[in-house]
Amino acid sequence: MFQARSKRVLQSTLIALSWIPVFLTINNNVVHIAQVKGISMQPTLNPQTETLAKDWVLLWKFGVKNPVNLSRDDIVLFRAPTNPRKIYCKRVKGLPFDTIETKFPYPKPQVNLPRGHIWVEGDNLFHSIDSNTFGPISSGLVIGKAVSIVWPPSRWGSDLKLSTGRDCISKRAIPE
Amino acid sequence: MTVGTLPIWSKTFSYAIRSLCLLHIVHMYAYEFTETRGESMLPTLSATNDYVHVLKNFQNGKGIKMGDCIVALKPTDPNHRICKRITGMPGDLVLVDPSTVVNYVGGVLIDEERFGTYIKVPEGHVWVTGDNLSHSLDSRTYNALPMGLIMGKIVAANNFDSPFWDGSKHRFWGFKRINNTFVDANANSN
Repeated sequence: MFQARSKRVLQSTLIALSWIPVFLTINNNVVHIAQVKGISMQPTLNPQTETLAKDWVLLWKFGVKNPVNLSRDDIVLFRAPTNPRKIYCKRVKGLPFDTIETKFPYPKPQVNLPRGHIWVEGDNLFHSIDSNTFGPISSGLVIGKAVSIVWPPSRWGSDLKLSTGRDCISKRAIPE
Repeated sequence: MTVGTLPIWSKTFSYAIRSLCLLHIVHMYAYEFTETRGESMLPTLSATNDYVHVLKNFQNGKGIKMGDCIVALKPTDPNHRICKRITGMPGDLVLVDPSTVVNYVGGVLIDEERFGTYIKVPEGHVWVTGDNLSHSLDSRTYNALPMGLIMGKIVAANNFDSPFWDGSKHRFWGFKRINNTFVDANANSN
C-alpha cells in the first residue's frame, strides 16, 4: 500500500514538474510581474519616498520588441544599453523617425530617431538616467510594457499616465 | 487523478503544449540550432543552407570575448537577427572605416579629414563586423551594438549542401567548428 502511494506521489510530482516549462514560456513571452525600483518614475510609480515601498507591475511581453506595438507615453522596462545586467523602467517619449527636443546632458538640442529606435525618459526629470544620457535605444532592448500596478493593494487601479514627464517633445515630419 | 478520465485529444494536446514549451525553454536558455542566410559572414558561413549551433549561456554578452561569432537582434529592426564577429570590446578604440564614409551630402563636401578618426566603444556595447567586410551591414552602419541584444555565441555550423557523410574528411553534413579568430598582436610581440 505504501508503495502504491509513493508511486502516486512521484507521478503527480512529475506531472507538476512537466508544467514548469509552460509556466516559464508564458512568463517569458506573454505576461510577467516585475518590481520597479528607484525614484526615476515618480510620481507615477513608487510615489512614497519615506516608506520606500516598491510597486510591482504587470508586464505585457508579447510583441513589445517591435516598435509598431509601442506608443508614446507607454511605460516600458528595458535592458540598459550601458549595462546588460541592469533593467531600467522609463516612459517612451519618441518612436522611430520622430524628432526629439532633448534635455541637458544630451550634446545636441534636437535628434532624429533612427529606424527601430525609441526615446525613453523618466517622469522624475531630475533623477533619471534616460535617453538624454545614453541616447536613443534600440527597441530590441525592451522586455515589457507596464500595464497596471498589482502590488501593493492600496495602489490598485492607479493611473499609469498620472504624469507623463515633459510634454510635446516629439515631432513628426510626416504625419502618421 | 482526473487526467486519466480526460478524453484522449485533450491529453495529446496537453503533452504537445508541454513538450513544445520545454523545447522553447531549451532554445531560450541553453542551445539553439538555426538557419543563417546572407553573404555577410562568407568565408566562415556560406550564404545559403548553413545551420549554426548557438550556445545561449552567452546571452546578453555574458562571457563573450573579442573574435567570437555571435547572434544578436538587429538594432534597427528587432524582427531580424544578425550573425557577426566581435571586433571591439567596451572601451576599445575602433578606426572608422575610411572607405565607406559618405563625405558628400547633396553634392557638398561635409567632412574632408575622416581618415584616422576613431570611435570609442561605449560601456556595455560591442563593435561587430561581418567577416565579408565588403558585403556586410554591421557596426560601421548602425554603430556599436548594445550587449543586451546579443542572443548567443556560435560554436559550430552544418552545411546541408554537403553530403551526409564525407568519408575523406570524417564530417557529417559539412560540420565545422567556428573558432575565435582573434590574434592579439601585443601578446605576440612581448
